[in-house]
Amino acid sequence: MSDQKHLTQEQTKDIDENIAWASINADVLRSMENPRRGYWVAMAVSVCLFGIMIYAEVYQYMYGMGAALLNTSHMWDLYISTFVFWIGMSHSGTLLSAILHLVHADWRKPIYRFAEAMTTFSLMTAGIFPVIHLGRVWNFYWVMPYMTDRGLWPNFRSPLIWDAFAITAYLTSSVLFLYIGMIPDLAICRDNAKGWRKTLYSWLSLGWRGDDRQWRNFRFTYLMIACFLIPLAVSVHSIVSMDFAMSIMPGWHVTTFPPYFVAGALYSGCAAIITLFILLRYFFKFEHYMTFPILDKVCKLTFVIAMVWTYLNLVEFASVWYGHDIPSKEVLIAKATGPYSPFFWGMMTFGSVLPFSLLFKWVRRNMYVLFFASIFLNVGMWLERWMIVTPTLSLGYHPQAFNVMWPGWTEWAMVGGSFGWFGMLFLIFVKVFPCVSMYEVKEMVFHRKRTIYDDVDEMMTLHSGVPGPKAQTQNSGGA
Amino acid sequence: MAGSSKKTVAKTRRVLGLFGDFDQAFEVIAGIRRYQVPGLTVDDVTLKSPIEHPEIEDVLGERPTDIPKFAFWGGLFGLVFGFFFLAGAQATFLVQPQGGKPVITIPSNVVLAYEMMILFGVLTTLAGFIIGARLMRRSSGLYDTAISVDQIGIVIEVSDKQYQPLTDLFKKHNVIEMHEEALS
Amino acid sequence: MSSLLGNIFKGWSDYSKGNEEGGHHNYEHMYAMVIDLDKCTGCNACSTACYAENNLATVGEEYFGARQAMHWMRIERYFDEPNLEKAGSEADADTQSHGASFLPMMCQHCNAAPCEPVCPVAATYHTPDGLNAQIYNRCIGSRYCANNCPFRVRYFNFYDHQETAWPAPMEQQLNPDISVRSKGVMEKCTFCIQRTRAASNTAKNEGRAIRDGEIQTACQQTCPTSAILFGDLLDETSAVHQAWKRHQVQLGRYTQNKENPELRGYRIFEELNVDTKVLYLERVREV
Repeated sequence: MSDQKHLTQEQTKDIDENIAWASINADVLRSMENPRRGYWVAMAVSVCLFGIMIYAEVYQYMYGMGAALLNTSHMWDLYISTFVFWIGMSHSGTLLSAILHLVHADWRKPIYRFAEAMTTFSLMTAGIFPVIHLGRVWNFYWVMPYMTDRGLWPNFRSPLIWDAFAITAYLTSSVLFLYIGMIPDLAICRDNAKGWRKTLYSWLSLGWRGDDRQWRNFRFTYLMIACFLIPLAVSVHSIVSMDFAMSIMPGWHVTTFPPYFVAGALYSGCAAIITLFILLRYFFKFEHYMTFPILDKVCKLTFVIAMVWTYLNLVEFASVWYGHDIPSKEVLIAKATGPYSPFFWGMMTFGSVLPFSLLFKWVRRNMYVLFFASIFLNVGMWLERWMIVTPTLSLGYHPQAFNVMWPGWTEWAMVGGSFGWFGMLFLIFVKVFPCVSMYEVKEMVFHRKRTIYDDVDEMMTLHSGVPGPKAQTQNSGGA
Repeated sequence: MAGSSKKTVAKTRRVLGLFGDFDQAFEVIAGIRRYQVPGLTVDDVTLKSPIEHPEIEDVLGERPTDIPKFAFWGGLFGLVFGFFFLAGAQATFLVQPQGGKPVITIPSNVVLAYEMMILFGVLTTLAGFIIGARLMRRSSGLYDTAISVDQIGIVIEVSDKQYQPLTDLFKKHNVIEMHEEALS
Repeated sequence: MSSLLGNIFKGWSDYSKGNEEGGHHNYEHMYAMVIDLDKCTGCNACSTACYAENNLATVGEEYFGARQAMHWMRIERYFDEPNLEKAGSEADADTQSHGASFLPMMCQHCNAAPCEPVCPVAATYHTPDGLNAQIYNRCIGSRYCANNCPFRVRYFNFYDHQETAWPAPMEQQLNPDISVRSKGVMEKCTFCIQRTRAASNTAKNEGRAIRDGEIQTACQQTCPTSAILFGDLLDETSAVHQAWKRHQVQLGRYTQNKENPELRGYRIFEELNVDTKVLYLERVREV
C-alpha cells in the first residue's frame, strides 16, 4: 500500500487514456495465474463454512425443522430472510451491467464483470434457501411445472411459485448475460492459455475471431439482453417481496414492499460491489483499472440508493403510524421498542446513518474504513430482512400467538455457510475467468483518447479558427 | 464492366492484413471503396478487431442483423405460451378453488407470463446471436492472436488478379503482417 | 382450447356470483360450527378428544413450551374480568364466572381462506363441502399457509413424533381412518373429515340425504355441556343453519348488519374478510 497516496493524488480520471492495450491483457491475465497462499486461506475458510452448513442441513434433514427452533408462531425465520438478502445482493450486477450500460456510463466498464459474477453466484446461493427451508426437502421439485403422473401442477397462484419462475428466469438470464459478455475476453484467454485452460476457453469462446459481423451481433445481443434483464431484475425482487406483501399479516401486507425491496436490493448490491472492489483491487493490483474516481462514483451511487431506501422505509413507517390498522401499528411499535429492537435500531443505524459517511472524501479514499463501512452496510441490510420476517410473526393478529423466538444453531450455521458457498464460487471464478473485462477497458481507453483529441479540436476551432491538433496528426497515422 | 458485371471471378485466396490501429485499417477500406483494387467492394471486407469501433457502420456500410427479430418473436412466444400453458394447467383443476378466488386468476398468470416472456426472449436472443454471428463454426483458420491484443485485421477473399493490388494497398498503409490461405 | 377459454370465464363468473350471493361456487354442503362460549367450561375434553380422534402426538413439556405442540383444537384462556378482588379467594380466578373466559380455537374453515392460495404445491384447497382440506401427501412443508393464517391454527410437524409419542402398545389407540403424519407436513383441524366422509358414503349407499346430527365431530361428541354444534349450513333444517339465522350472521360479508345488536353470535376476525364458518356465541357476562 506504499504507493497508495501517490495513486490517490494522481488519479483524477476514471482511467488513464495512455494505457497500452497489451498491458491490459497482461495485467488481467496475470490475475488468473496460480494463486498464492492468501487465496488458499480464503478458500479453506469458505470450504469450512460451507461444510458447517452441510452438517447443519444433514442434521435438520434427519431430525426435522424443530432444530431451527421454529414454532407455531414463527414458521419462517432466518432461512427466508437470508434468501431475500442474497436475492437482493444479486441486483448489483444487473444495476452495473445493464442499467449503467443503457445510460452509457463508461465508468462501469472495469468493474461490471465481477459484479455480474456476484449476481450469478448470489442467485445460486439464494436458490439454496427455498429448498432447505422446506419441511420435506426431498420433494422440492414438486414446485416445477411438469406433468406429474396424477396430472398435478404446482399452484400458480402462490407467490412462492412466482419466486421459482422469476428466480429461474433471472438466474438463466444472468448466467447467459455474464457468459455472453465474457466471450471476447474468453477469446483473449484462449489465445494466451495452455493445457486444460486452452481447451476450456476454446470451447467457451465459441470460435470468437473478432469479426465485424460477430461484434455487430454481439452489440445487439448485449443490448437486447440488458433491456430484458432490467425489467426482469425489478420484477424478481418485487415478486420476492410479494411473498410478504401478498399475505395478510400486519407489517407484511404493505404496498410499498416491491419498490422497497428493489431499493434495498440495489443498496446491498452496491455495498457488496464496494467490498469486492477493494478486495480485488488490493489483491490483484488493479489500481490502474479500478481507480479511485470510479470508486467515488460507486460510493455516491450507494449513497443515493441508501437515501431512496431510507425514504421508502420512512414512508412505510409513516403510513402505518398515521393509519388505523391497529395490528400493523403494534408491529411497528414492537419493532422499535420490543425484544427485537436492538436489531431494528442496528438496521436503521447501519442502513440510514452509516451511508452519510460516504459523503466524506477521506472515507471514500481510505480503503480500510470503506471496506468495513461497506460490510456494515450489508450487515444493516441483512438485519433489515430479519426485521421484516420475525417481528410480524412474533405478533400477528391473534394474541395467543404472540411469541418471541431466537434462531437455533442450524439457522446460524446455514446463514454463515451460505457466505462460505458464495465465497467458494467467487474465488473459483476469479482464477478461472477474467474478473475485469479486458475488451471493455480497451474500449474505455480508446474512447477517452479519441474524445480528448476531438474536444481539443473543437475548442480550438471555436476560439481561434485555427485547425486543432487532430487535423495535424491525421497524416501521421493517428494514435 | 457492363458485359462482365454478372460474371463472378473465382476467388482463390484469403488474405489477412494486420494493422496497428483503426485509422490505418480504415484508410485501406477507404481505398477499397475507391476501387483501388479492381473487383473488390467494401462488402467483401471483413474487419477483425479487439474492440468494436463506434463508427464502424460509417466505414463498412450498413450491415443488418436479425437479432431484434429473434428477441421479439421469442418474447411474444413466451408471453402467449406462458399464459395459455398456465391457464391450461389451472383449468384442469377447477374443482380446487382456493381462497375464494377464481381458479384461473388473471393477476398471477400475468406475472408468470411476464417472466416467461423474458426467459424465452433471452433464450431466443442467444440463439439469434449464435446463428447471426456465425459462431460455433469451423473457422477459416485465418486468425492471429494479435487481434485479441491490439491489432486490427482485414480479411478479404481475392482472385489471383486481385492479389497484387491488394497487397500493394496493404503495404501502402503500413501493414504489420500478412497471412494468407488458399481457398479450397 | 375452447374449453380452456370457457373455463377461464366460468371460473370468473362463479367467483363474481358468489360474492354477491353470500357464498362462493356451487357448494353441495357448507359445513359450519356454532360454539356457545357461555356453555364452555374450559374443561379441555374437546381438545383431548381431538388428540385421540386424529392421531395427534403429545409432544412433551419441553416442546410444548417451545410452542411446537400439535393441538388442533386449543382452549384459549383470557383473564379479563375487572373485579377479581370482589370475587374473593384466588381459587375463583380461574373459573369462568370470576376470571377466565375460554375460547376453543381451531381451523375456522374460512370460505376465503388466506392459507389456500399461497401453498406452492396446492396442498390445501376448498372442498365442495365447504371444508378447507389439507393434503398431507402433497405438502412439502413451505409453511406459507401457517404464516398467512390470522388465527394461527395451522400446526407443523417439526419432528418425527410417531417415533416417540406412542410407545408400544399405545400405537393400538391410533385411529385407522386417518394417517399418522411424518415430519415436514402441515396439519390442522379438518372438521373430522373422516367422519363426514363416512356419513356421506353411508347416506349415498342408502340413497338418502345426510340427516342433521348424523355427523358429529369428535369435539362435539365429547363436550360435556354441548357447547359445540356442527352441521350443514345449506340444510335449512339443521341446528347450525338455524343458529346462524337466529343470530343474524351471514356468509360472504365482513360486517353484519343485525337488527338486534344484543344477539350474541359473532365471527372472529370477520373484518379481515376471510369469511369464517365458526360462529361463536358470546359469553353472557354478569354485569
